[in-house]
Order: sequence, then structure tokens, then C-alpha cells
Amino acid sequence: MSKPNLQFSDSQFLEGLRSGNSEVLRALYKKYYNIVLKLVVNNSGSSDAARDIYQETIIVLFENSKKPSFELHCQLQTYIYSVAKRLWLKHLKKNSNTFLMREDSEGEIADVSEDISLHDKKEKDFEKVNQSLASLGEPCAALIKDFYVHKLSMDEIAEKFGYTNADNAKNQKYKCLQRLKKYFFEKDLVKNSEIERKN
Amino acid sequence: MRSTDLFDDYLEGKLNANEAADFEIRLNSDEVFANAVNQHKSLIDSLTENNEIDNLKAQLTKIHEQEFGGDAKIISVNKKETFIKRYGKTAMVAAGTALAVVFGAVAVLGLGIQKTSNQITELGLKLTATNEAIVEGIKEGSQKPVHAPANMEGSAFALNNSGYIITSLHMINGADSVFIENKVFDRTSAKVILTDPKLDLAVLKIENKELYKNWQVPYSLNTKLADVGEKVFTLGYPRKDMVYGEGSLSSLSGFFNDTTMYQISIPVNPGNSGGPLLDDHGNIIGVIRGKITNAEATGFAVKSGEIINSIRTIGGDSILTGNKKPVTKGLKRTEQIKRINPYVFNVLVYKKD
Repeated sequence: MSKPNLQFSDSQFLEGLRSGNSEVLRALYKKYYNIVLKLVVNNSGSSDAARDIYQETIIVLFENSKKPSFELHCQLQTYIYSVAKRLWLKHLKKNSNTFLMREDSEGEIADVSEDISLHDKKEKDFEKVNQSLASLGEPCAALIKDFYVHKLSMDEIAEKFGYTNADNAKNQKYKCLQRLKKYFFEKDLVKNSEIERKN
Repeated sequence: MRSTDLFDDYLEGKLNANEAADFEIRLNSDEVFANAVNQHKSLIDSLTENNEIDNLKAQLTKIHEQEFGGDAKIISVNKKETFIKRYGKTAMVAAGTALAVVFGAVAVLGLGIQKTSNQITELGLKLTATNEAIVEGIKEGSQKPVHAPANMEGSAFALNNSGYIITSLHMINGADSVFIENKVFDRTSAKVILTDPKLDLAVLKIENKELYKNWQVPYSLNTKLADVGEKVFTLGYPRKDMVYGEGSLSSLSGFFNDTTMYQISIPVNPGNSGGPLLDDHGNIIGVIRGKITNAEATGFAVKSGEIINSIRTIGGDSILTGNKKPVTKGLKRTEQIKRINPYVFNVLVYKKD
């Protein structure tokens, strides 16, 4: 915190956000917080609501910046303000019948509709994954995460979960994954038996 | 080999060249197979992305706390909560004023004092409307404007001649509308211009220009640090009438050695929050923020230098213009108060119920 404020360009911010550079992320967060705080607080929100909206905005930026086709067509500041405004409007619409969004002098608004829809889709996906993992229960959920997310080897998984060897762990992972797919895709699951027959 | 293991190996690039080529031929020719691979991939992608987002959220939360969470150690003590159920349609609008007041029955629920382990109490006054007040209001209703009871009251003061007002953020958080008033100044609405959670600071602006066009604010915000032992005083609205308090500056840092605050030996009460702290010469040296629970004659005020910096950073210089040198220097205290009085306000905050 005592470090001097580093200056980054918009593309440096994006690159740092994509690659998970914590120093850049902190600088980015500090730089645009007050814009969103002002927006929300001036439009009947609390500073807590501003924090939530701001963090969701950063996540929208992160998700979209990961797309290979992503290009920033405006200043980062305009992008952040536009996304935050959309998110806050959505929140207001959901939570009250009547609201008034003040016209502001911040000027430029970018079209971020597609970026927001991508975020909405991802939100739904995440909810589905989390629900599926919850239905799956332990130790299956932890095993799946260790293999696919934390990239542990089958030997490490066997050791951690107390299976006699890697093959056993692999078997277990297979069973867990089949169940997870059942929860996650429900009706639209391609029957694996169909493929297995062809193998 | 099980299909999913094959998928994993392919996606992780673990197949050898021949195996990979076979896999890709099948991917291009067998639609069912391709769909299964895509499904598998979409699930794995969701899992990893989910984890990425979770990590990012945790990081953001941490950054926020470190950079902007200065008020986390201060928690307001809810004395009483007021729940106003509005069912009456009796809106009374006073002729000549722009204030529409909605009336309704008031249910009073005393929730008792919520104690926290934290030791600073913020001093916004949460109000409980009584039935008597409502009855009285109804009686007077037809003759003059009747104001619905506010959810929260505190103090505020003018920053300069441009209609800007300083108060505490914790009072106006979640506010639906904010009004200010005092003995010489009728109730008028103010809008929130900027807020700084770190300093618990909010700057408001009076919406009606006519009301501040003749202002001569008789003080300015001191940029210099005050000295320990200096005589200080405060004016505020712990109740409907303005109350004066005096003492001395006891420390250059606040609770937990927070260097953005002064400690003062003035007994401050709920409602004092947002009021000015002045030195002997009538300079503003701080804004009353809170007190230590169980220590009656100790208060805390955010330093004026911090406030100026914050306003400059968040809002720019334009808000700060028009400050005058203190004109009450050398005057007797009673004279000083008479001149400062019109620029100290009672803040009334309404929240959505």
C-alpha cells in the first residue's frame, strides 16, 4: 500500500488482469473505484452496493478480456463506467418499481451489451456447476476439482484420498465425472454408452 | 480406454501424434463423438473458469479491504430501528414549498442495543417516531408542512459559499433522500456529490441555488495539523437544538493509531457525527466521526487536511473553491458561535423502507 502509484496503460491493465498480475490488478482497482462509487452513491446506492457493482464490473472485464476476439473500442475508463452503469440499472430495476437514474456529465457510454450477455451466461453456468458439484457431494467434488482445476496427478490423488493406487483413483474419478455430467447436463447429455460401444 | 480419459488426454495434449491424428479424424467425421467431446470440454472449462473467478473475487475483496476498508474497524451501534409501514395515501403538500410528505401509521419496534466487540460508536442518531409525534403532526397537518420522521439524523456544516456541505458518510449510506435544516435555514434537500468510505466522509450540495447565493461562510478548513493541547470546540445537533461542546485536542491519532483522525476530550453524543471541530480561532480542523464506547469524554474527528485531500482527489478542485479566511479570529466564543451557527446544520436522512 505504501508503494507509489504505478502508471499503466489500458492495454497493460488488460494484460495484467488476464495473466493474474496482482500488482496491476491492485492499481486497476484503485484507479477506477471512485468513478463507480460516485455513480452508485449518486443513484440511491450505498457504498457497499458500489463495492459489489464495481467488483462485478471487474469480473465482466476479466471474462471478456479472456476472449481471443476481445478488443477495447473505447477508453478503459469508459468501458468500466458503461458496464457498471448497466449492472447498477439492472440492480435498480430488480429491486424497486420506481427509480431515477441521474443524467451524468461523465459523457461517453460504450455499447457493452454483448459483454454483459456473456457475463450473464457465465453466471448461469457457474451457478449450474456449483449446484452440480453440491449435488455430487464429497469426496467426489474435491476429487474432480483436484484433477481438473488444481491439476493433481492420479498418484497424488490416490495418496490424498487414500486409494490404493493411481488406477483405483482413476476409476473413482471416472465414476464421479459421470455423475457430475448427469447433474450438469441433465437432459442434453450425450449418452456415453453410445460412444463406448464404438470404441 | 474410457472415452472421457481419452478426451482428457487429447485436451491436455497427452496423445502421441498418431493417436491425436486418429482422434481428430473422428472429431471431424463423427458428429455424436464431436458433441460428446465439446460437452466434456464445456464442463471442464466451466470448472476451471469458475475457479479463476472465485480466486479473482477473493483478490478483489482483499484489495478493497486494504485500500478502501478503513471504516471496517468502526461499526455503528444500532440503538433502535424504525419501521414505517406506509399505507396511508394522505400526502400533504404545503403550499409554496416543494416538500411532499407521505403519511402513514408508524410501528415502533425497539430492537435493543446491538453490542459489538468493536469499541467505536458512530454517532448518527437513529430515530424512532412516536405515535404522539404523528398525532401532533396530523393536527398541524392542514396548516403547515408536516415532515415525516427521518430515519437518521446527524450534523453537517457548510464547506464554502458554493452550497457544498460536509457530513459523515455512515449517516447517509443507503439514503433515499437527504435534507438539511437549522434555525435560520428552512428544510431543504441536498444531493450527495461524493463520498469517501475511508474517511467516513460525504459531501452534499444544496440543490436550490437561491438558498446559498448570499452565503458568507466565516471559516475555512485548516490544512495544517493542529497541536496536542489546543483548545477545540464543536457545534452539532444531538437533539433538535444546536449543542455546543468544548475541550482540548488529546492526540494526533485516533483509534488503533489511525493517523487520519484526532482524539478530542469533548463528550460527543449520537447526532454529533458530521459536525465541525473548530480550533480557538474558529478554523475547522476536523469532522466529528465517533467516540469510544464506554469512554464518555472521548471523541474522534477526521482531520481537515485529510478531508481536503480526499475531496481534491475524488471530486477535483472545483468543490473546494471559495473558502475564506476565518473571520471570527479573536472574537469571544459566544460571538464566534453566533456567526458560525447559520452554517451548521441538522441532517435528516430518509431511507427506503
